[in-house]
Amino acid sequence: MTTGSGSMSHARTATASAQVPHLSADTTPAAAVSPLVVSGCGVLSAAGPGLRSLGDPAAGGSTSGPAEAGAGLLAPDTDDLPPVPVAPIHDLRTDALGRKGLASLDRTTILALLACHQALGGLSGELSAQDRLRTGVAVGTSTGSIRSSSEFSRDTLVQEKPYLVRASLFPNSVMNCCASQVALRNGLRGVNATLAGGRLSSHAAFRYARNAIVQGHADRVLVGGVEELCPQTLWGWHRSEALAPGVKVGEGAAIFVLEPPESAANAGRSPLAEILACELASSAGRGNAQAVVAAGVATVRRALERSRTSAEEITTVVPGTTGVVGLEAVETAILNRVLGRRTIRRIDPVTMAGETFSAGGAFQLAAWLARPGDRADTALIISLDQDGAVACLVARRTP
Amino acid sequence: MPEPSERRVVVTGLGAVSSLGTGAHTFGAAIREGRSGVSPIRGFDATGFPHRVGGEVHDFDPRSVLRRLQVSEWGRSGLFAATAARLAVEDSGIDPDLLSRSRTGSCVGTTSGESAVIEQLTEQWVEKGFENLDPRLVRQVPAGRIAWAVNAELALHGEAQTIATACSASNYALGYAFDMIRTGEADYMISGGADSLNRWAHAGFYRLGALAESVCRPFDVDRSGILTAEGGVALLLEPLERAVGRGARIYAEVLGYGVNCDAKHPVSPDPTSIAECIRLAHRNARIRPEDVDYICAHGTGTPTNDATEVKAVREVFGDRLPPISSIKSMIGHTMGAASGFGALMCCLALHEGFLPPTANVSQVDPALGPGVDCVPGTGRDATLRVVQNHGFAFGGNNAITILGRVA
Repeated sequence: MTTGSGSMSHARTATASAQVPHLSADTTPAAAVSPLVVSGCGVLSAAGPGLRSLGDPAAGGSTSGPAEAGAGLLAPDTDDLPPVPVAPIHDLRTDALGRKGLASLDRTTILALLACHQALGGLSGELSAQDRLRTGVAVGTSTGSIRSSSEFSRDTLVQEKPYLVRASLFPNSVMNCCASQVALRNGLRGVNATLAGGRLSSHAAFRYARNAIVQGHADRVLVGGVEELCPQTLWGWHRSEALAPGVKVGEGAAIFVLEPPESAANAGRSPLAEILACELASSAGRGNAQAVVAAGVATVRRALERSRTSAEEITTVVPGTTGVVGLEAVETAILNRVLGRRTIRRIDPVTMAGETFSAGGAFQLAAWLARPGDRADTALIISLDQDGAVACLVARRTP
Repeated sequence: MPEPSERRVVVTGLGAVSSLGTGAHTFGAAIREGRSGVSPIRGFDATGFPHRVGGEVHDFDPRSVLRRLQVSEWGRSGLFAATAARLAVEDSGIDPDLLSRSRTGSCVGTTSGESAVIEQLTEQWVEKGFENLDPRLVRQVPAGRIAWAVNAELALHGEAQTIATACSASNYALGYAFDMIRTGEADYMISGGADSLNRWAHAGFYRLGALAESVCRPFDVDRSGILTAEGGVALLLEPLERAVGRGARIYAEVLGYGVNCDAKHPVSPDPTSIAECIRLAHRNARIRPEDVDYICAHGTGTPTNDATEVKAVREVFGDRLPPISSIKSMIGHTMGAASGFGALMCCLALHEGFLPPTANVSQVDPALGPGVDCVPGTGRDATLRVVQNHGFAFGGNNAITILGRVA
């Protein structure tokens, strides 16, 4: 995946005179974060189910040319889909969820439920009923199921009377539907948060979950992101021209069990990785590449400082904006400024799962976890949004 | 649980854009008088709906308040949030450049994000087909732009978190903002909520049988449901020592919060789980039930909510219930902004010394049991030390914040 040359020149001007935002002298210094661990995960994308599917790009279903959208799956009400390549999940199997109450659930919720089922089912030490009382949920989603809200809204226009909507589908139109269903179907009674941050939604969820655990609002949190492929989203990408030609729009969910290291150790769960700092910041906003680069550099440096990790210790970079017009080059500029121009291993989930927007950050983490790494392999998981917001998560493989 | 050595967090600025007017003090005075902001809906074509009133913000004029945002680039909810945030900063008297230079972020709650934008796009889909969606509107869809609008308007460099835990979202946001300052993650935070009136929620609540015809009367024997509503609300939070240092007017201290999930039913609340959430909030705030002088209820006005809420309060407080009132009786259900408006009223109640009322109460429902003082009619003078603010939601998302007068 490449972006057009236009955005590259954009970034060169961006790097020229970018300044780190000036902060007043009495600003609180960046304290070290207490490491948390990922002790389980569930993944579902066009590349298949499970972390392993992301580990071998050759095995993925999405890299071998544009996949045809299953018309029935994507657009029962409309014949036409835009000329946007897609990476859908074919034959979504819901057997694992049982039969009860699935009919009214939308795709966003089902994808997240399946990923959570995988994450909980794969834990080496299961969660007891007691554990579940103190287990929370933090889901990143930009809008919830935009298909659900849009179709519900559509019914107020096309039905004989505007109120002739289906009441049973109303909860789907609310953004917290997915997170609350995850809680309901798994008996998770802790904090239950839904975080909307556009492309940074999954990063936002990780930051929220980290605070909830460290501040004692939950013992552990199922955290990640979800994105559903639907006509509304595809047409949105097409009309906004925000993606470079050829980028496949994907879908899926990646959900992780996040907890303190002691909690995992006590339960006999072997951690997959340590989650260090997760920082979010804003710049002066849209269209000001210099400001975004400056904010990005400051944010990455802060995340490294709070992770007590030097730029030299970063062994893997996981980019978050591949193929996004105007952002990919800015992201590259930030990484070059912080890491220099040395060669660092690069893992890109877009090549396997496609563009997954809200779930992007979660797929970045999953793609990195799926590849073998050295003992102290440390990843910089960065992303940017069109409105000038930046995010950076630092993760280290556990020996 | 907070350590005693950690920073105390206070509220020093309030902003509101509501059906009862713009500005926290205009809003607060109207609530104290028990006035109604409910009116015929003009924001969408309500023809064909049996019930056609709501808590709409008529003639919203963001340009008269906003200094930086290009209004045409943002959705209605984002503009509500940014306008309320600008008003909160003005109200606090803090130097906006200091906020911009410091580690300042925002955290804003919402139920349906930029729902008015989504409805406009849906109309375009129905009328002209997907291929004619307006790209300018498409770019306004992400709900995360609600908090980003706040940061862009105030030139803030910290995080901008939009929390979408439906109708408890503003309490979630306030709790998170409190943690950020308490632990030193941030020096200042704007916390708040925003939602836009929309046809689809109006239809959904109607079909659930939860929509009142024209009057919202929580706790009343004849209560029949909610009124859909909209607005934006913002609170400026800072460490106590900074507020004292700059001689700021301190409305209230944020003492703590509790959050949990019923994990039982998509739309029906659970009293035991809500009682547990109250206990979590009390533990986090290090208070006991007898410390609470007032409860700002979720109080939607549906028979189920009010019965469940009072039952939960009884589980924790026994038969000595603090006064409990619902401002939704006057402004309707502002969804993701609702517990933010509740928090704002808690701040004014603590600072000015009164109990906010419940309007439209003729007879308190005897089925709610004895001792329910819902402050009927107009506000009542009272010296308050600790107050409790409720926010519940679809999906069993409960969030309760505790605020107190700074001793």
